[in-house]
Amino acid sequence: MILYKGKLFDSTEQERILSEMEPYINNTLVKKSLSVETVIAAIDALGKEIASGKQDALLATLLSDNAMQYKLLAATMLSRENLEWKLQTELGGTTSSNGSSVIHSQRMPLGVLFHIAAGNIDGLPAFSIAEGLLTGNINILKLPQADNGLSLEIISRLIALEPVLTDYIMVFDTPSTDIHAMQRMAELADGISVWGGESAVKAVRSLAPTGAKLIEWGHKLGFCYIAEAENLNHITTELFALAEHIATTKQLLCSSCQTIFLNTQNEIDLHKFCKIFLPILENAVLKNRSRTIGERAYLTLMRHTELLEQRIYGKHNATNEYRGENCRLTVCQDSELELSPMMCNVLVKRLPREQIVPVLRRKKGLLQTAGLICTPENRNIYTELFARCGVTRITSAGNMSAYFLGETHDGEYALRRYTKIVDIETE
Amino acid sequence: MKKYRRSLFSVKNPYDTQSDTVFISAVRENFCYHYTHCQEYRTIAEHFNVDANSFHSIDDIARLPCLPTLLFKRHRLKSAQTLIRATSSGTSGNYSEIGFDIGGLLCALKMSCKIMRKRQLFSLIPCHYIVMGYKPHRSNHTAVTKTAFGATLFAPAISRKYILNYKNGTYTPDFDGILSTLKNLSNAIFPIRFMGFPSYTFFLMKMMEEQGIHIPLKKGSKIMLGGGWKQFYAEQANKATFYNLAEKVFGIKDYDIVEFFGAVEHPILYCDCPNHHFHVPAYSRVIIRDIDTLKPVPEGTVGLVNLITPMICATPILSVMTDDLGILHSGSQCGCGIQTPYLEIIGRVAPTDIKTCAAGAADMLKRGETNDSI
Repeated sequence: MILYKGKLFDSTEQERILSEMEPYINNTLVKKSLSVETVIAAIDALGKEIASGKQDALLATLLSDNAMQYKLLAATMLSRENLEWKLQTELGGTTSSNGSSVIHSQRMPLGVLFHIAAGNIDGLPAFSIAEGLLTGNINILKLPQADNGLSLEIISRLIALEPVLTDYIMVFDTPSTDIHAMQRMAELADGISVWGGESAVKAVRSLAPTGAKLIEWGHKLGFCYIAEAENLNHITTELFALAEHIATTKQLLCSSCQTIFLNTQNEIDLHKFCKIFLPILENAVLKNRSRTIGERAYLTLMRHTELLEQRIYGKHNATNEYRGENCRLTVCQDSELELSPMMCNVLVKRLPREQIVPVLRRKKGLLQTAGLICTPENRNIYTELFARCGVTRITSAGNMSAYFLGETHDGEYALRRYTKIVDIETE
Repeated sequence: MKKYRRSLFSVKNPYDTQSDTVFISAVRENFCYHYTHCQEYRTIAEHFNVDANSFHSIDDIARLPCLPTLLFKRHRLKSAQTLIRATSSGTSGNYSEIGFDIGGLLCALKMSCKIMRKRQLFSLIPCHYIVMGYKPHRSNHTAVTKTAFGATLFAPAISRKYILNYKNGTYTPDFDGILSTLKNLSNAIFPIRFMGFPSYTFFLMKMMEEQGIHIPLKKGSKIMLGGGWKQFYAEQANKATFYNLAEKVFGIKDYDIVEFFGAVEHPILYCDCPNHHFHVPAYSRVIIRDIDTLKPVPEGTVGLVNLITPMICATPILSVMTDDLGILHSGSQCGCGIQTPYLEIIGRVAPTDIKTCAAGAADMLKRGETNDSI
């Protein structure tokens, strides 16, 4: 489906719509302007609708897992309080001049933003649009292939609440392989915001017109670090929180824990840890069991495959693996940060403190979140160390994927990237 | 030796509904072969308490050790020397490598001929082929390349133009080249046959529509689709949209659009009927399994797709479980006249269809291109 001029059209109308978009956008740029207050009021009203339960039926239909959690998060992120805080934090003072010149700098929208959105969080594309609107941009959104229809529903509702936004939002379900359509959308844009892997980013670079600002949000990895490996019995609360984080995110987010590092040289410590952590993780996984057919089928298939592998290839891996129902801990010999098999299959590795910098620096472009479990007196030291390695988010283990007002994404403020500074001479 | 396999693949009507007896005999024969020639298969069979005496009626095929395609992606299993090998496309980085024995290949040939004849795909009239897939290259062992080439033998080929050509160690799509060939062929007296990925064919037609290019194809032309939608799974065009576009751009009716479904781990040719349903051929059986317990479920229920054929001796692919989710429908619901059940694929197990950000990061790590990240 395509959302254009506030109405839904069949995908077969894409060509016609693309051919008339340039004059339509130009007309909006000439004749209209979007006030921040209008945008905040509309998004806040949408957030309140979601919070009041008016959209519960929709959320329950489209999100079989964690619908309530999603509702809470959406209501928080879309609230006026959050939006105003976000604007203040990310854009701050928008003008600069020391008074000696008649020319001053002013932050302005990029103009037209083309969003190539990610599909790993339901409704995320809609939030990307909200950020584009907050900065006063006209937004063209290409939905991710995994989108379940939630984004379009949310955006349509937003337009219904504030029809002024109609001219500032266009949504397409164009597949990313439809290079011609993508190129035409890109040609209309001043900035292209792309979420995705290496191939997606490369493809966008190739189709972006010269001079268009590329705003890339790449793939990242998260990990947990346990600084006092010899005192596992004193960190039970943190381990429960870590298990809950793994079970709820299923390790699918950039901020999810893929590898658990222990500050030790001794492999025995890793085995001790697994014995303590496995029942905690198993319990959290059971509590957060998936209800979607695809995920359940995936887990069944993985279990079946692993059962056969175990039968065929004997026990060579068994001593390194701790299996629970629908989860697994694997003790590894190396110290590299790497992606786990996900879906509650966690890698456990040694990483002595003195090795942190050389090991993590090897992955500096991919680091995002470190969940730190340590004593309060050591927290600052480790936080500083991880930040120097390139980690952009350092939290407690349970908050690795937690949202907070004014948070950055991969160390950057989105709103800043969606704007430009214009130098203007005034009388 | 393998007499029941020979009998099964000699069944004349490829959608014969009376083939259960010979099918179960061929299954028992094939099972015994793998059981005695493949240590890994034997170990699995013993684990499930299955032996040669376990198969009496067609319902017993559900007891066959069901090997996931993932197992073939991770390990190379074999029961005999292979004549040729074929691989899956490996869109996610891993691929299966399946060996074929000469007897199995002869069976495949017999099966293909019968199914093609049934769908009236053979012709003596020469044609131009537009292959919307890979041009064969010595480094390319994918089954999809071999079958696409095979499809260009159904009618004598005057020319073959490929969209994916191998240059500097990689394949790149050449839509403009295809378009230019089509324009040159627009006045040719012989028909044109397309064969290849539905996604590329669809995007070509969309591109032509956008540019206002309409090339009516000569009588006898066909659009043959195979290889699946691959990484574009969630972007599958609605079939009606596809057929409408084909009629608009090429003036071709949906009867002349033929889709194939298959997997290297289950080399049975599934060809859609005139109503575009994938009926199960006599040489294959499908069991849909419960997504939690793996127990067989009744017709009309969604589950994991388990495909069974006693075609191959070289690799133990007698019973494989794909990572597809599907439904088996009663053949009588179709109305095309074929009475065997038909398989509807509705999607893939998660999260393979959701590219997570963390997984993307791992892809970069493997390639050592960490500097590419922002």
